[in-house]
Amino acid sequence: MPHPILSNEEAAALKHIDHRGWTSKVIDITYEKGTGEAGLRGALKRICDEAMAAIDAGASLVVLSDRAVSAERIPVSTLLATGAVHHHLIKAHARTRIGLVVETGEAREVHHLCLLVGYGADAINPYLAFEALWQARQDGLLDDAPHIQSDDDVVAAYRKGTAKGLLKVMAKMGISTLQSYKGAQIFEAVGLASSVVDLCFSGTTSRIEGADFAVLAEEMGRRHALAYPERESQRIPVLNNPGEFHWRRGGDRHMWDPIAIADLQVAVRSQSEDAYWRFSKYTNEVATREATLRGLLQFKPGVAGPAVPLDEVESEKDIVKRFATGAMSYGSISAEAHETLAIAMNRLGGKSNTGEGGEDPARWTPEPNGDSKRSAIKQVASGRFGVTIQYLTNADELQIKIIQGAKPGEGGELPGGKVDEIIAAVRHSTPGVGLISPPPHHDIYSIEDMAQLIHDLKNANPSARISVKLGAEIGCGTVAAGVTKAKADHLVIAGHDGGTGASPLTSIKHAGLPWELGVVETHHTLVMNNLRSRVVLQTDGQLKTGRDVAIAALLGAEEFGFATAPLVALGCIMMRKCHLNTCPVGVATQDPELRKKFQGQPEHVVNYFFLIAKELRQIMAELGFRSITEMVGRSDCLNFDQALTQWKAKGIDLSALLARPEEPEGFLGRYGSDAQDHELEKALDKKLIALAQPALDQQVPVNIELPVVNTNRVVGTMLSHEVAKRFGADMLEEDTITVRLTGSAGQSLGAFLARGITLEVEGDANDFVGKGLSGGKVIVYPPKVSPFKAEENILVGNVCLYGATSGEAYFRGIAAERFCVRNSGATAVVEGVGDHGLEYMTGGRAVILGPTGRNCAAGMSGGIAYIWDPKGAFPGNCNQEMVDLDPVTTDDDAELRSLIEKHQHYTGSTVAEALLARWESARSEFVKVMPRDYKRVLEARAKAASAA
Amino acid sequence: MGKPTGFQEFPRQAAPYRPAEVRMLDYEEIFTPRDEARLTTQGARCMDCGVPFCQSEPHGCPVYNLIPEWNDLVYQGRWRDALDRLLKTNNFPEFTGRVCPAPCEGACVLGITDPAVTIKNIEHAIIERGFEEGWMTPKVPSRRTGKRVAVVGSGPAGLAAAAQLNSVGHQVVVYERADRVGGLLTYGIPNMKLGKDVVQRRVDLMAAEGIEFITGVAVGNGEQGSTDAQELLDAFDAVLLTTGATLPRDLPIEGRALEGVHFAMDFLTANTKSLLDSKHDDGAYISAKDKHVIVIGGGDTGTDCIGTSLRHGCASLVNFEIMPQPPEGRADGNPWPEWPRIFRVDYGHEEAAKRFGDDPRVYAISGKRFIDNGNGHVSALETIEVQWVNGRPEEIPGTEKIWPADLVLLSMGFLGPEASVGETLGVEFDARSNFAADFGQYRTAQEKVFAAGDCRRGQSLVVRAINEGRESAREIDRFLMGETTLP
Repeated sequence: MPHPILSNEEAAALKHIDHRGWTSKVIDITYEKGTGEAGLRGALKRICDEAMAAIDAGASLVVLSDRAVSAERIPVSTLLATGAVHHHLIKAHARTRIGLVVETGEAREVHHLCLLVGYGADAINPYLAFEALWQARQDGLLDDAPHIQSDDDVVAAYRKGTAKGLLKVMAKMGISTLQSYKGAQIFEAVGLASSVVDLCFSGTTSRIEGADFAVLAEEMGRRHALAYPERESQRIPVLNNPGEFHWRRGGDRHMWDPIAIADLQVAVRSQSEDAYWRFSKYTNEVATREATLRGLLQFKPGVAGPAVPLDEVESEKDIVKRFATGAMSYGSISAEAHETLAIAMNRLGGKSNTGEGGEDPARWTPEPNGDSKRSAIKQVASGRFGVTIQYLTNADELQIKIIQGAKPGEGGELPGGKVDEIIAAVRHSTPGVGLISPPPHHDIYSIEDMAQLIHDLKNANPSARISVKLGAEIGCGTVAAGVTKAKADHLVIAGHDGGTGASPLTSIKHAGLPWELGVVETHHTLVMNNLRSRVVLQTDGQLKTGRDVAIAALLGAEEFGFATAPLVALGCIMMRKCHLNTCPVGVATQDPELRKKFQGQPEHVVNYFFLIAKELRQIMAELGFRSITEMVGRSDCLNFDQALTQWKAKGIDLSALLARPEEPEGFLGRYGSDAQDHELEKALDKKLIALAQPALDQQVPVNIELPVVNTNRVVGTMLSHEVAKRFGADMLEEDTITVRLTGSAGQSLGAFLARGITLEVEGDANDFVGKGLSGGKVIVYPPKVSPFKAEENILVGNVCLYGATSGEAYFRGIAAERFCVRNSGATAVVEGVGDHGLEYMTGGRAVILGPTGRNCAAGMSGGIAYIWDPKGAFPGNCNQEMVDLDPVTTDDDAELRSLIEKHQHYTGSTVAEALLARWESARSEFVKVMPRDYKRVLEARAKAASAA
Repeated sequence: MGKPTGFQEFPRQAAPYRPAEVRMLDYEEIFTPRDEARLTTQGARCMDCGVPFCQSEPHGCPVYNLIPEWNDLVYQGRWRDALDRLLKTNNFPEFTGRVCPAPCEGACVLGITDPAVTIKNIEHAIIERGFEEGWMTPKVPSRRTGKRVAVVGSGPAGLAAAAQLNSVGHQVVVYERADRVGGLLTYGIPNMKLGKDVVQRRVDLMAAEGIEFITGVAVGNGEQGSTDAQELLDAFDAVLLTTGATLPRDLPIEGRALEGVHFAMDFLTANTKSLLDSKHDDGAYISAKDKHVIVIGGGDTGTDCIGTSLRHGCASLVNFEIMPQPPEGRADGNPWPEWPRIFRVDYGHEEAAKRFGDDPRVYAISGKRFIDNGNGHVSALETIEVQWVNGRPEEIPGTEKIWPADLVLLSMGFLGPEASVGETLGVEFDARSNFAADFGQYRTAQEKVFAAGDCRRGQSLVVRAINEGRESAREIDRFLMGETTLP
């Protein structure tokens, strides 16, 4: 079957199939109204029995259908029915004997389809979704879609759209084929009773219990009553808008509603404590209570000791140093908003975060009034936008983003409309071209790779904490333990509630998990393995009040991140238009006119955080804590709130959240109190820095010659840090420090190498050569005495020049896989590459004088590559979705030729020599890889220039 | 959302009133005909906010109008759908579209930095288009519940409750002591601002839906020709009091008893009744013609007194307000999305300025005594300027001034409901002399008796009265049926 979504005709054909022994059996999945839980359970049993009977009767397909819905019959939730049948058949060892088709009026969104497939459906006919869209077409709602001229077009478009959605979700989970996704049930349930999970979703994680069949039956009954009201006069003429994405009165609870936003803004602008207390009371007692797990908890005073006088509690000034703002990039939000956050956090002594969009170097110089726009936390995400040695050097914390809590598995997405000249410059990309961060870090495929990146970054800035940001899903504790052993200094567990208004809809609603679950799991795992004292644990995800912070601390965190709330303090009114560039208050826009409307002031954020600290101190005093560190992990000071009246909440069991882990023998501590040993003193760079003193002190050129072995990792990076620290953006003149190494270099040779440093290696090098190259020059060639043909052998390892931003690299031999991924400005010459070369490249030049692996240039949106392809093999290996393959013209001649000449000069390449010797004929054997977006922008610029 | 960049492309263009010099000559509505092309651009200015402050209390729309949704539908030209959306939350958009001060526009997110969306104009246009197209047909409930509800008072709260209760099949009888249905809508607001044909059009529609209206019957303690409220209790399954806040605030200073000093409502009510009965031919109204008129009180009712006096042909006109003049833009203590307390020029002010050259308003001033002309009629008013200290007015000695006055209209707000019907039914009163019933519950101390609107909450907006009428209907339905699906 080509597609899991069936049209009505296909569904009908399958229902009546009788072909070569294939028959099907339709099973009605409705039950009688008014029979409640018993009716629902009975229906599930009947459905499962009928499915077994169908197999026994020789049917090849069962079709679970809710078409019998009527005033008297309620449909069982399609997902319950599908999961129940799927698991019933698995237990009976019969699942593979039959196909499972679902005919449903319920499933309509991508998430619904994902769940059905993930719990075993082979095909789905969402007939009501079709009918609703047909109605929309009749009403003229699809008039501006020229490709939709008939009902069949509607079905085709729906199938196309949902397939893309399914693919996107599968991709997030690292799954490539529907076959693998089917029945994989990679979901976690929050708030579902084990009775339901055992019967319908066997094996799915559900950590806090919750709704049982009685609740589900009640809910199905209520929904049914909306469509078939008891009193005819109560039939609603216009469907209710449940306010799923945009707040509506009487709809879904949103934590930010008009009351909360207005009170917070009044509080921070007029320094009105009254307004803050209104905000915090409403948020704690209504919004948070109805929307989060921590809303179900209450404090238990007296457990940790008697209340203490308020003046003995850690001061507000100290508390706010534990606060950080979220990783929102400059690009997603305006310069004004981003810089205001930075100024505010620097005034507080807290930390703001660059996000993954780089940072304008101008911000690293303090303002005349003493303020600083420098973000203390520099994020290193998969896109590596603007991650240069200066960027890393100007940081107090370097944060490796593995996951965004709100959309795990997805990278950041900046639409082209927001990429203006300045943002493109900061990110080293092309204006007007949208930027998609790749889902994975191309240099992290294992925990060892993670340890390597942590080590790389520690070398790039020895005084910065290295932080790793993880999501809250099940298993994060194990990952956190691994990351701690990989020597992270700091962990972030990000919850699902935050995230931008630009997130995909399926992610806003259905991705990520509450941080409460993640913090508890992480804290427990680290405590039980006696690792907790080695890391600082931060959490974020819609923290808003002192109560939120207190609970986060009691569950195990000692630092706290806030993103939405400080933006609201600065004027954000939750437009949810971040993706349209039309934010009317100048927060999430790059439109110069709209940016003028930004009215936020650093004082607003400062006021807000002090108010939170004030509330927190009162709670601390009441609970008997004098400091945050005493509070960490004291979940015994929390209680399940028995006063809950919400009808669905009664089955919830938070005891797992509140249990305290057993502390092992020789326990070292419940919070981050011990430093990690990064073993920097063993680095070859200590020697290089000593030898390079003349250059570092007086910019006098130095030549260093040393042997190198593969335990010398990250060579040149700490030296680059010294250069960046001393000389700022311009660093040093080319070749000021020349280091000649002989031997086999270890991982990350020349990572983030600064301008003015040249690393020449006679020998070979391991993975990650020139990662994040920042203006330096890396030259590698085999030992001159080697007898083998250099151009036929691998010289440097995987992921070379990943995220390089400028500089040069010359490799006399073949680079392994993922060469030049996310290169945004460096120039490289190499004599052949493995698979996935040039992926996501946004700038720079690559010259490949040899064969490439497959999938070359995938997602490449900028820069140019020249491939020597005498045999015409390249087009077959190139992913041409975003690039054109053009001939090399006389315009390109000078550039290409000079690069090859340099290569020959630096490495003594015989390949280069031979090509140059017959240049006129050789040139035509080159293919120029030209990203279409980049070409468009270059042409537009040329046009503008000639017009001027 | 209409158009993502609409608010950047189109300026706010509110629907203009008819020119002051023209409209002042008649009692017809001040509004100009609908301009659908302009309204489309105005709908496009709506940004479809993720959190629409316009459509919700505490700052925006008290009936929670689905404003972004119908703004978009108007932009798309889908007027019928817009009407359905509008009627989902508001029974009487033709009233609010004319007389509401539009807190929605005060809370409009666009208003943070730019002029707000013209929400009220759009609401007005949707409902008028609906009537013109013939979409507003009576919706008679398919089944009757057999329950009977009496509604006492036919102002906006009573009418909204009646409409809602009738829609779910209850038999509703509305009692009105005046000769025409509508309460404040009919006799409180002059014809210029809310045409009485508009009120009657709605009343006719409701009657066609099966609601019974009984006019000229006061419900009270049975004395002075009133119907004993107890009889209603016996005859109905529930009684809803929506009698309004009709006791006016007085100005008990020297000379208050002189002739020529009237409460605004007496002036406005008589004017409208005479206009409707005889186009003023019967002379049964308080005329301002050729008189020096002083209006005391700067609210909407004061403005209506100004507009009416001008149409009578007054000789001069001033309007006193004890509060200081509000600022042109929001003051620091009055941030968005609060209702902007700013200086506004309403229709009456514009007309007075046209006629006499100046805005008629004088701020921070207080009446000291009315002066007798020697025949028991007022001839002048002595005032004194005040300054506000810690939220209290203090007189400024030496600022006394005498203003000639033949007609003084007191429009200083209302204190609460008239007590008799409540007393008769055994309803309790709150500290402000309103009928005691909790917001959201609307139940009084008396079983079966509910109260909503200004008689419960004190004087407020028409739109809040509509909301209370709707919500009280929900509670009455729940009381009668055990459950309810009314919003």
